[in-house]
Amino acid sequence: MSMKTPVSVLRLPRGPDPNSRGFDPNSPRFIALCPTTVSTSSSSSGSVDEEEQRLRSELRERFLRTLLLMTDKQVQFDMLEKVRVRARFGASDIDVLNFQVSDLETPLGVQKEALLRCHDVISCSFEL
Amino acid sequence: MLQWSERSPQHWLEFVNHEVCVTARDQQRFEGRVFTVDPVSASVVLVSVQENERPSVRVILGHAVTDVQILGRGTEETERRMKSIFLPSQTQILSAEELKSRRESLRVWLEKNRVPVTEDGEVLRVANALTISAPYGSGDCSCSNEIILARIQSLVESNPGEQQTSHTSESSDNLMRRSDNIC
Repeated sequence: MSMKTPVSVLRLPRGPDPNSRGFDPNSPRFIALCPTTVSTSSSSSGSVDEEEQRLRSELRERFLRTLLLMTDKQVQFDMLEKVRVRARFGASDIDVLNFQVSDLETPLGVQKEALLRCHDVISCSFEL
Repeated sequence: MLQWSERSPQHWLEFVNHEVCVTARDQQRFEGRVFTVDPVSASVVLVSVQENERPSVRVILGHAVTDVQILGRGTEETERRMKSIFLPSQTQILSAEELKSRRESLRVWLEKNRVPVTEDGEVLRVANALTISAPYGSGDCSCSNEIILARIQSLVESNPGEQQTSHTSESSDNLMRRSDNIC
């Protein structure tokens, strides 16, 4: 009688620290779910970092304004495997890992509330 | 060859305001003018450039971008037009007296609510942490602490002296959602 090799249990990463806002690049959640591809420039002179930070802030603010504009709008989501769904956009989480949507139209019917994994979303579009 | 999401903000900035063609993971192609590239997710925000159609916005998630090619360069005019879509439209230019009376009305309202506020030229300073500049609306508050920001913003919106727009309880709902979205 052969013994089956026990399978190691995979523990999911812990959720964000309840005491902070969660935007910690060293948090287990960020490291586990976000690929570590957001690199800072390799040269480490102070003024270059400041300039890069300024650029990041400008770019990020524009992106947040995009999310604001998208809020409560009917959005078309192009997902993997050529799947397309429509829903009302609610919010994104801080790392752009999940989108909260309402009235998601699926082949099985309309889902009142849902979370879309951004990893499964290729693009989303809306009209003004 | 670095992936799109591994690039630097300087690299992404080179595409902002220009007309591009983005190729996505499933070979789909999207064209439009780049409004921004999110530094956290490398997602590309495109604005449609068709003149006669309703403007539309597309967000292509960073992980799905395989290639971005510039099709045409933008100008100061295209940047201005694009920005006007996203940024709240400028209210009418107010005269110095109108600005002064709005500032005064807000200062009095804040004091009434026991908020420590001082006038510093054209700017109101709250608790040495938040500044409110002209035209003294809730969108003109600047603060690095989001809790203070949210509280003062809702106070500014509820100022009975300045009825700018008619929405009341709706605006505080929007405010809550906005402060949850903003990160």
